[in-house]
Amino acid sequence: MTSDMEINGNGDTASLKRKREPKDDPALSQKKHRRKSKSKLPSAGDGHETGDSGLQKVNGDVELSDAPSPALLPKAVPWKVSKPMGGRMLDIDPIFSPDERHLIITYNTSIQVYSTEDSLLVRRIPLPVSGTEDVGEAVAVHIVSSSLSRCDPDYIWVACSDGRVWYLNWTSGEGADTPFRVEAKKVLDAVVDAVEINGAEEDVLLVLQKLTRSSAQIVAYNSHALSTASGKLLHTYDENPQYLRSAAGGRLIVATAKEAVHVGLLKPKKLASLEDLAYRFHSFDIPDIVSSFDVRHTTRTTKKGALELQAVDIAVGGARGAIYVYQDLLSKLPGESSAAPKAGTVQPRKYHWHRRAVHSVKWSADGNYLISGGYETVLVLWQVDTGRLEFLPHLLASIENIVVSPRGSSYAIHLDDNSTMILSTAEMRPTMYVSGIQSLVLGDRPSKDALVRRVWRPVDELTSPLVAAVNPRNPAHMFLCVGNGQQAAQTGATSSTPLLQVFDISTFHGVAKQAIARTNPTDVNITSEGAPVIEPTATKLAFSRDGKWLVSVDEWQPPERDTEAFLTGSKTPAEASRERKEIHLKFWEVGAEDDSLQLVTRVTDAHHTDQTEAIFDLAADPASSRFATIGADGMVRFWTPKLRRRDGLAATGPEGQPLRSWSCSRVVSLPTYEQQDDSAEVPPKNVSRSGAITFSEDGSILFAAFGPPSGGLVAAIDTETGEFRDVISGMLRGEIRAIKSLGSSLIMLSEDLVVYDVVSDEILYSYSLKETSEAAKRFTQLAVNYESRSLALVAPVPDQAQAKMKKGARSELVVLNIDEDEPQLVKTFPQLITSVCAAPSSSGFIIVDSAAQLWSVTEGSEQAPLLQSLADLGVDAVGVNGQSAGQELALQEGEASDEEMEDADQDVEMREDEEDDDDTHAVVVAPQRLAEIFDAAPAFAMPPIEDVFYQVTGLFATKPVNT
Amino acid sequence: MAAEVLPLAQLKLPSGPSPVTPEQRYWKSFKNQKSHTSTASWPISHISFPAGNANPSVLSTSFVAAAKANDLFAVTSGPRIDLFSIRKRELLKTIGRFDSEAHCGEIRPDGRVLVAGEDTGRMQVFDVAGGSRAVILKTWHVHKQPVWVTKWSPADLTTLMSASDDKTVRLWDLPSNDPTHVFAGHSDYVRSGAFIPNANGNLLVSGSYDETVRVWDARAPGAAVMTFKHADPIEDVLPLPSGTTLLAAAGNAISVLDLVAAKPLRLITNHQKTVTSLALASHGRRLVSGSLDGHVKVFETSGWNVVAGSKYPSPILSLSVITAGAGQEDRHLAVGMQSGVLSLRTRLTGPAAERARAAAAVEAALDKGSQAVDRLDAQRARRKRAAVTNKAMDLLGESVDVVIPSDLSGRRKQKLKPWQRHFRSGRYAAALDDVVDMAAPGYQPVTALTLLVALRHRSALREALEGRDEVSVLPLLRWAAKYMPDPRYRPVCVDVALHLLDLYGEHVGASAELAAQFQALLGKVSKEVEKAQMAIQTGGMVESLMLGMQ
Repeated sequence: MTSDMEINGNGDTASLKRKREPKDDPALSQKKHRRKSKSKLPSAGDGHETGDSGLQKVNGDVELSDAPSPALLPKAVPWKVSKPMGGRMLDIDPIFSPDERHLIITYNTSIQVYSTEDSLLVRRIPLPVSGTEDVGEAVAVHIVSSSLSRCDPDYIWVACSDGRVWYLNWTSGEGADTPFRVEAKKVLDAVVDAVEINGAEEDVLLVLQKLTRSSAQIVAYNSHALSTASGKLLHTYDENPQYLRSAAGGRLIVATAKEAVHVGLLKPKKLASLEDLAYRFHSFDIPDIVSSFDVRHTTRTTKKGALELQAVDIAVGGARGAIYVYQDLLSKLPGESSAAPKAGTVQPRKYHWHRRAVHSVKWSADGNYLISGGYETVLVLWQVDTGRLEFLPHLLASIENIVVSPRGSSYAIHLDDNSTMILSTAEMRPTMYVSGIQSLVLGDRPSKDALVRRVWRPVDELTSPLVAAVNPRNPAHMFLCVGNGQQAAQTGATSSTPLLQVFDISTFHGVAKQAIARTNPTDVNITSEGAPVIEPTATKLAFSRDGKWLVSVDEWQPPERDTEAFLTGSKTPAEASRERKEIHLKFWEVGAEDDSLQLVTRVTDAHHTDQTEAIFDLAADPASSRFATIGADGMVRFWTPKLRRRDGLAATGPEGQPLRSWSCSRVVSLPTYEQQDDSAEVPPKNVSRSGAITFSEDGSILFAAFGPPSGGLVAAIDTETGEFRDVISGMLRGEIRAIKSLGSSLIMLSEDLVVYDVVSDEILYSYSLKETSEAAKRFTQLAVNYESRSLALVAPVPDQAQAKMKKGARSELVVLNIDEDEPQLVKTFPQLITSVCAAPSSSGFIIVDSAAQLWSVTEGSEQAPLLQSLADLGVDAVGVNGQSAGQELALQEGEASDEEMEDADQDVEMREDEEDDDDTHAVVVAPQRLAEIFDAAPAFAMPPIEDVFYQVTGLFATKPVNT
Repeated sequence: MAAEVLPLAQLKLPSGPSPVTPEQRYWKSFKNQKSHTSTASWPISHISFPAGNANPSVLSTSFVAAAKANDLFAVTSGPRIDLFSIRKRELLKTIGRFDSEAHCGEIRPDGRVLVAGEDTGRMQVFDVAGGSRAVILKTWHVHKQPVWVTKWSPADLTTLMSASDDKTVRLWDLPSNDPTHVFAGHSDYVRSGAFIPNANGNLLVSGSYDETVRVWDARAPGAAVMTFKHADPIEDVLPLPSGTTLLAAAGNAISVLDLVAAKPLRLITNHQKTVTSLALASHGRRLVSGSLDGHVKVFETSGWNVVAGSKYPSPILSLSVITAGAGQEDRHLAVGMQSGVLSLRTRLTGPAAERARAAAAVEAALDKGSQAVDRLDAQRARRKRAAVTNKAMDLLGESVDVVIPSDLSGRRKQKLKPWQRHFRSGRYAAALDDVVDMAAPGYQPVTALTLLVALRHRSALREALEGRDEVSVLPLLRWAAKYMPDPRYRPVCVDVALHLLDLYGEHVGASAELAAQFQALLGKVSKEVEKAQMAIQTGGMVESLMLGMQ
């Protein structure tokens, strides 16, 4: 793991600069920075700033030890970073295995195989998509297609935009390390078909690759050609096709360019080698920009016994919402003699329901229906002959891909909220559901809706970090603020995140999703002008110590385009919009069993001056059920629950349970750093102030940092009396990002990271951030783990090329122990980190990155609390090698006696004796569940062995069926 | 999988300083007032009904059943006692066989006999069970002064107590001619008294004009076992069902007395004038008091806070919360006044309430005309069919294993209102027209606010206001002007007004009505500005005061 340490000789990392001063610095020999204890009233806190501002500039000092730098003296790193989990499902059709028992989903960094029986992850095959050496080019590299091999259904072909092609065995995961490489500037699409060459069927990969800005070519490769990287050029276009399909064993290939369809028919009847492959191409125009299409063919056997194409139907979905259906295209195309089709001979039937781009259109298995979906979140079923419509409305996010299963009995639907489900065609009910982390990602490709110019543009950068929290009562449950899918969320200046996703990181699936702010999933999501409806943004989230309460802050302001009528006087649209901002502080009661949230109190304008003011930070008291907020009005408010009373009677809910409500129990006005020239009294509106708060570990002190960028103050407030115990100045430079308390240390993050000991009044160590752009500052985050006494800082790696957080931005993680000034772990992540949380009841951290991946950072030998796929657990082999689940499990869990396991196995068989044994997986037990049992106490303090036994069997035994 | 279509959630406004509580709603639900004026407008001095002091834990079950089956309550006014039916709220019979003013007509828990005292000192027991005339069963003439209290023991049927202006409290056995116990000790008229529950009829309490409340024990003859001195004459005493707490009305205060600790717990001083009557309600969990100030107040019995109240036109002399039904639910709030009016307010529950609703619906339909009646009939037939189907389904459930309900969610889909339908399908102007119509039957200002806020959230406010003519603009202007002063509505009203000014300001010259309406809006706004200026001035003054104090 030492290779992860990226520290140069000065102790600098990619994002941090170590602050050092010469040892004989006079300021250092004084050592102590100015500090004044005060227990006076807040109003008195203003005037204390006298002539020692010069001192503050140099107080970021560190007493250096003579020990050599860690880069020179490698030491064992106790911290490790897990393999990433999750990711974002790409806009690529999921693949059914031929027996429909597995669904292969293409993620941005991996291929994941799921069981369709129980939605469990069978295998995750990571692909080094952007892990290539040259980081600069990695920006645009992404997977463009994945398709099942026609000759060997255990394999899939995955093509990457930089020309790498993987031939993966998805049942074993082999082949991820050895990609083929095709010579291409940029691969646009690729498709595989089994072509009969020399009497034997062989996989032929057809690659659509970009030649110049306005030309492209199709090249065919078989496995031999791939290894030599010399394919057969089939066709070159003057335009730039985007999508490619083939049908009927390569007898037909269809490519679509912006507004044209190119159909290629195989010329030779028999092929001796790949070189013989040749097509006759026809093209015709489409009245719209193609956003999706599907080909359906029927074949017949000729008298000689060879197969021949009989009919070809093409359905093309347009970017403006229409679907064009070309039925029996073969008969309409000119014969071999004539060169080009006469205009007007190929006439489509038009089906128009969608308001915007058709994201996916597919033929049903029998060809009588078309299934389409798009931004409207409605699955539309068209009866092709009559044009009759059927709808499955109000899915949770816009539909990205639709796949009809090989048997035609179910549809796999990939939604924009990073989820895929399988619907049975009979009753339109989901039989399988895979839901990943729905956080916003930096996308690879623009949405299909963006093919047409619209009145608004989706935002292609991340503007704010992901708001997330981990439930202390159930450390496996992570709560993330997400939107109604990627496209619906990235519509305004700030992302709309009105939903809270509860994500189980140990089983790795979304548990629930609940709205914490206004959202209208069943209403039209665009205005009549075509602009998106903007939903509120959740900006803060915090759990109380016991996990019974959750507090959220959400903001909304009308878009500036709505404020024209309000511009009176010299008001700007931004001001008018700002005046109408709505900020809510909401207190939720978290259900004990199911993490369901119930709104208890909603506070509008928790902080306000003459208008509502932003809430900078939210902190939970680690000792009691209490929260504190700090706002732009320079106030700290404490919030406590109380029994709701009406006329002296405790108000009760419907079941007679006492109701509680939250109210502000104390307001403390913070001192501000006053400039020496009091004469120029600046109205607070014009100064952008920032703030952060944290409770001390015992909850007795609240540290509040607040002030303008020119210099903020940190006030230590007694939480019992509301008096100031201390005011610390000169620690903060620039915008205040975060403040945390750990033991007697105070960790302050502004443009510097300062670790300061409150008791001994000295700075333990400090670093300064290299990157100070606005966007980068927003993504600089701090988390503190009380168990391991460590802090994790994530910061974007400075990148001169881009000022915004777009694709290619990377982040660095630095883990520091509070007592040691040398980083314990420094690691650069390939993606931007959007969130970092301390894992409760463990010593590590959980990180979410901009590719919707989850990383676990753990200390020492501790197990990462993340899910492992069935393959990693060794139970995926069920049904493949015929071993029964119970035996597998017995191998896994050597401690349990064999008889017990066999008993459990018999139970299973008794229960579902009609069912095929192979259809169910053994119980999946996350390793940390076992660890919870066995590591609960030291050996001498363990519970009786009988209890432990029952706990373990409780994990593995199947739950009795309720009859 | 698909999300359910829900109607737009109504906006929850911050509750004002005194929101309507469930308790207030409960006491408001006593309605359908029926007034009955006594003969010659004699003041109503006492209202009682038997179940009020029956104690089920002591009495036999048949006794309780009889109490529950009882349909009578007695109202004492002047030299008469009227017996009313609880069920029908009608006068059944009148007992007029008194020589002077009658007091404290009390029906025995079994509902068969009634006892009453009178100013001459005579006490009479009447048979009230059968016949239209009440037969005198027993007469005592032992007290030489007016008898103010006659009450039946909750423990056995033949024991009763009396209290008189001759300063004594006596315990009687029905067959014998002399009192079994005489409790002397009060130094003035004894005007109130009661048996203390849970004491097997042995403990009595009495309140006197000598400003004391005394507790007597039949097992310890002689002086009172406990005496509480008050500041005013005691008008009424009421033991709580636990038997350990006493309430006494003394002057305009009600004192709460603890019998276990033998000390007063609290003084409730919510009434302005003398409290004349106390009663229990809601299974003993609420105290109802009536006073000469004409107020009836309801208190909760833990912190003794007022939870509800109402005002009557005349000084209140007596009140009772009459319970009925198997659950002994509060049925009538009976209040007797100085003016001789007995006011009965009724709260119907269960099938009775349903019947009342149905009857009201028929009345309303008859008023409207034949079409409405037909509609009502059709609706009833539909309900009946549905009930039959449901019953059939229930029966079906007996024989088969699984019944698949016809709709999967198990509950009826909420039907969208017209404005909600307009809103969902993007006809914003039509939706807005529906909700701002202040003359519409279901008009609620908060609905209009909900819609306007939702329109703003959807960037559709301007669209909803655009393209109107003179006639359709005016209701909006009127609405905005009306609710402008309400701080909860103000932001939205301001936005609407700004939009309207922007859109229709140029047409003011062409339309007199529009001009007048804008003028009205201006008037409202200037009034608000004036108020704000006043507030600022006041704030300034207070601030300078505070500075001076420092």
